[in-house]
Amino acid sequence: MKALTANRLTDGEVVFWKAGQWVTRFADAELWADDDPAAVQAEASGKAQPTVVVDAYLIDLVESEGLWAPLSYRERIRALGPSNHLHHGKQAEGGAVIEALQHAHGAARSTGRVNLIKRK
Amino acid sequence: MYTYDTIDKAMLADRSQEFRGQVARRLAGDLTEDQFKPLRLMNGLYLQLHAYMLRVAIPYGSLNPAQLRKLAWIGRTYDKGYGHFTTRTNLQFHWIKLADTPDILDHLASVDMHAIQTSGNCIRNTTTDPYAGATAEEVDDPRVWAEAIRQWSTFHPEFSFLPRKFKIAITAAPKDRTAARVHDIGLVLKRARDGSLGFEVIVGGGMGRTPYVGPTVKEFLPVNRLLSYLEAILRVYNRHGRRDNIYKARIKILVAALGKDEFAKQVEAEWAKIGEGADLPDTELARIRGAFAQTAFETLPAHSEAFEAAKASNPAFARFVRNNLKPHKKAGYGIVEVSLKGIGDTPGDASSEQMEVVADLAERYGLNDIRVTHEQNLVLPHVKLDDVPAVWAALHEAGIATPNINLVSDIIACPGLDYCALANARAIPIAQQIAEKFRDQDRAEKVGELKIKISGCINACGHHHVGHIGILGVDKKGEEFYQLTLGGSGAEDAAVGSMLGPALPYEKVADAVDTLVDVYLRERQDGERFLDTFRRTGVTPFKEAVYADAH
Repeated sequence: MKALTANRLTDGEVVFWKAGQWVTRFADAELWADDDPAAVQAEASGKAQPTVVVDAYLIDLVESEGLWAPLSYRERIRALGPSNHLHHGKQAEGGAVIEALQHAHGAARSTGRVNLIKRK
Repeated sequence: MYTYDTIDKAMLADRSQEFRGQVARRLAGDLTEDQFKPLRLMNGLYLQLHAYMLRVAIPYGSLNPAQLRKLAWIGRTYDKGYGHFTTRTNLQFHWIKLADTPDILDHLASVDMHAIQTSGNCIRNTTTDPYAGATAEEVDDPRVWAEAIRQWSTFHPEFSFLPRKFKIAITAAPKDRTAARVHDIGLVLKRARDGSLGFEVIVGGGMGRTPYVGPTVKEFLPVNRLLSYLEAILRVYNRHGRRDNIYKARIKILVAALGKDEFAKQVEAEWAKIGEGADLPDTELARIRGAFAQTAFETLPAHSEAFEAAKASNPAFARFVRNNLKPHKKAGYGIVEVSLKGIGDTPGDASSEQMEVVADLAERYGLNDIRVTHEQNLVLPHVKLDDVPAVWAALHEAGIATPNINLVSDIIACPGLDYCALANARAIPIAQQIAEKFRDQDRAEKVGELKIKISGCINACGHHHVGHIGILGVDKKGEEFYQLTLGGSGAEDAAVGSMLGPALPYEKVADAVDTLVDVYLRERQDGERFLDTFRRTGVTPFKEAVYADAH
């Protein structure tokens, strides 16, 4: 599975794509099957919003506790917040999806991020 | 301390106004991110994992109480109520909004602060001895020269687009508290037999992907020729530095490629062309020097009854004195180190309240002087021994009196993967886990001086190469792993650490450090520091112990 992420231009907040909009909670993110062309279309749409977000890219997901979590450790930290301040960032809100992210394993590089760096 | 004049103030106001316009154009879509990025970086603004990060310059680590209070206020108003002091003696705010940044720069400018030279391929903030003006060890006040370099280098058109960033450190004491030998240029102030002052000039040290202890290219540069000689070094670098390859663009690569003798020869030739016209006029030097002359010292007896009584009656205070109080050049005074390394806390973080406590103490007891160390602590350089008990009590109350300066839990750690877009692994939780292992202060004191330095990537902001124990976070197929190095030093006996063995997984690192300390305690001979024991025994006993499970 995949999701689309970026940082919001005005404040740097981590955001995720959902049906043409950017949302702040990973729990609300739109998810696509790996081979779903809609993911690539969404990425193109996200990149076409340079005054809304910076660096839109697709991330890989992995199953955790029956839910989906970003595969790479880096992306889980982005979706949660820093591990030294558990009351900072999105993790402060708590909930099942946050817990699933905190318990997720099986890290790997964020492929979308690597592609982004390569393109630059 | 040096006070900004009307020219400095006008520059800061203009700069802030200029950035306000650039931010507005970016938000309106008139600038693309690719166009805007170098502009925001020139104002210390990075986009990190969770938000923008604003890196505020603290030139040569020197602050007055009004400035520290302003940083506390900005932390509370625009961030999450704290700031992070860095190994460049700067301060980073990690939760900044782009749209707020022009206002923040205005607030900084109101107390003569800014974010200039905190990013980009320019001459960055110069590091000096945090004990400058307070220690009897120094032959001159290095801040005078650091301020001269600040004035010379800020917006210098020839050195604003160097092949890569450029960092200078100045120490005037034989005990190096600046890591001078692993800077692009390290300057060691010395007094010759005839009484004249000069700099030993070290060029081409550095950490990162290719660590070097810099070679000395000039044994004794007369102090009044400093700026022309720096200009000559920078010109040779600007001309021959590898702009084609970011990994080979630092001056250390050029010095290593040319060899130090050839490099020095080219610098001398350039220096001869520049002549004395580029040097600082004596009148200007005298003006700068005057700003640092501390005239408020009282004549005091060397012995303080109040101080001795507090030490005798309060073991916690006595422990603080043993570890955090350093000798002052004036009788009856001491240098107080404020530890930002509370056990379990984030190294280098200070809450807005803690900053305000330090600002108040500096005002009341510390001649309005505060320093930031490259080891991510604060210093009150001038405290009367009579007042040290009161200062300790206030610091203790604020949670910043941990008696661990230079001990095993006084760990340098970069923000790592918890914040930084470049990091491969976390550094902060590793530091916290290690510090927890040495929560028992008796054990920590028994271990003695042990410098642990942790970086979350090869860029080495956490100075891992020069840690007695260095820890580098690496990404192994997406998992956090850590390479340990031993025997590094950033001090006057500078050395790059040697690899201990294969990288360890996240959950094994703190235990491995504990094991290394046990080996040291077993092997050490009278008075040896960890570093001394390692240098005598070599890596073998340490390696055998840490990798025993693997055999």
